[in-house]
Amino acid sequence: MIPAQFDYQAPATLEEAVSLLSSDLDGAKILAGGHSLIPAMKLRLAQPQLLVDIARIKSLAYIREEGDKILIGATTTHYQLESSDLLKQICPLLPECAKSIGDVQVRNKGTIGGSIAHSDPAGDWPAAVLALGAELVLVGPNGERTERAEDFFVDLLTTSLLPGEILREIRIQKPTGKFGQAYHKVPHPASGFAVVGVAVHLVLNDDGSCQSAAIGVTGVGAKAFRAQAVESALAGTNLDDNAIASAVTHVCDGIDPNTDLYASSDYRCHLAQVHARRAIQAAKANAK
Amino acid sequence: MKLEGTHQLEAPRERVYQSLVNPEVLQRCIPGCEKLERTGENTFAATIRAGVGSIKGVFNGTARLEDLREPEHLRIVVDGKGPPGFLKGSGDLDLEQAEAGTKVNYSGDVQVGGTIASVGQRMIQGTAKMMATQFFTCLGAEAKTEVGEPPPKHGFFRTALRWFSGWLKRFFRTH
Repeated sequence: MIPAQFDYQAPATLEEAVSLLSSDLDGAKILAGGHSLIPAMKLRLAQPQLLVDIARIKSLAYIREEGDKILIGATTTHYQLESSDLLKQICPLLPECAKSIGDVQVRNKGTIGGSIAHSDPAGDWPAAVLALGAELVLVGPNGERTERAEDFFVDLLTTSLLPGEILREIRIQKPTGKFGQAYHKVPHPASGFAVVGVAVHLVLNDDGSCQSAAIGVTGVGAKAFRAQAVESALAGTNLDDNAIASAVTHVCDGIDPNTDLYASSDYRCHLAQVHARRAIQAAKANAK
Repeated sequence: MKLEGTHQLEAPRERVYQSLVNPEVLQRCIPGCEKLERTGENTFAATIRAGVGSIKGVFNGTARLEDLREPEHLRIVVDGKGPPGFLKGSGDLDLEQAEAGTKVNYSGDVQVGGTIASVGQRMIQGTAKMMATQFFTCLGAEAKTEVGEPPPKHGFFRTALRWFSGWLKRFFRTH
């Protein structure tokens, strides 16, 4: 329960953080909220040589509107997202997702950027940013680039972040028109991680039929993914119970569902169908 | 924990088989393998730095090849331990001649214990699948080279590229 020895740096700016990270590509690791990394270090499953603490860079924690975008700084905590009045109004999926994460202590310290960059197969944020079609702004020694959330998650705990890069910002298109959102999850009773988690963003036509659906699923595969077969099955329907029930049967299409002592792959896939159905129904009910 | 899977390699079955029993190829292809030495006719000692993302651990162990029936079948028995835990198990590999090369079916049973099993249980299977994919992608590239030709390069990006192009091909075959 005592980590191996490591160095610690708290840079004042992001540029400094990038250069510290690049100084030791194998041994340096970014520390944000530390709610995945520190437990792993205490068990000595992770033994970084150097921690670069970006949680102290105050300018990295923000939630603001800019034009037709919502911008969220990487070290914004789950609690800041959960309690944001702006988000409750313009993009309620984010506070709803934040609310479901871990416990109060985790939400006070854990950050959205940390959760996304860690790409835990059961993390909640990956599902939400996928459903919202977010863009992720990454900064590295060669400058800045943007990556679509869909391209960012590569595999179990693996993202398209290159060595030396840091996730700086999450950009989300401000939802417009008639839309409804919901996040449903089955939390693991001990850890609070999603056994399955389903984030839904529905855009409706004036008559209440489904114009488009975006569905992010976490906990089920090696990484969070968009349930495209469900999305296309929903598009154009009137979202009645039959349409939803038949669409959600496709939620595990093309996925090799995870299996562990708590939930076998069949059970997990069943849960994913049930909770996808409930999340879609809730998103429809929330639509305005 | 049961492990099962199928990988399609674009190389002749004999070459795939020979690569599978060649310690030099295995050392290059087993993800994180730092050392692999032959200790007997069909036994090896290995040091593997295994892991995903920031979670890593060093395992020392032995592997034994059994039931060798060139070029269609072999069985691997492994036993390893390190600070994060231990693992022990065996698996059967069946090589099948396929249209565009060789189809490898593997199935095995592995027990994992210690810290890694008590806290990382939910990720063990995913890690194993990911490492198997990396291994077979590399093995496919190795087996494709002619005898005597220098081995292919295996950077992270090359492996990712090979994996991705294989995936694309499968995608277009099945759709």
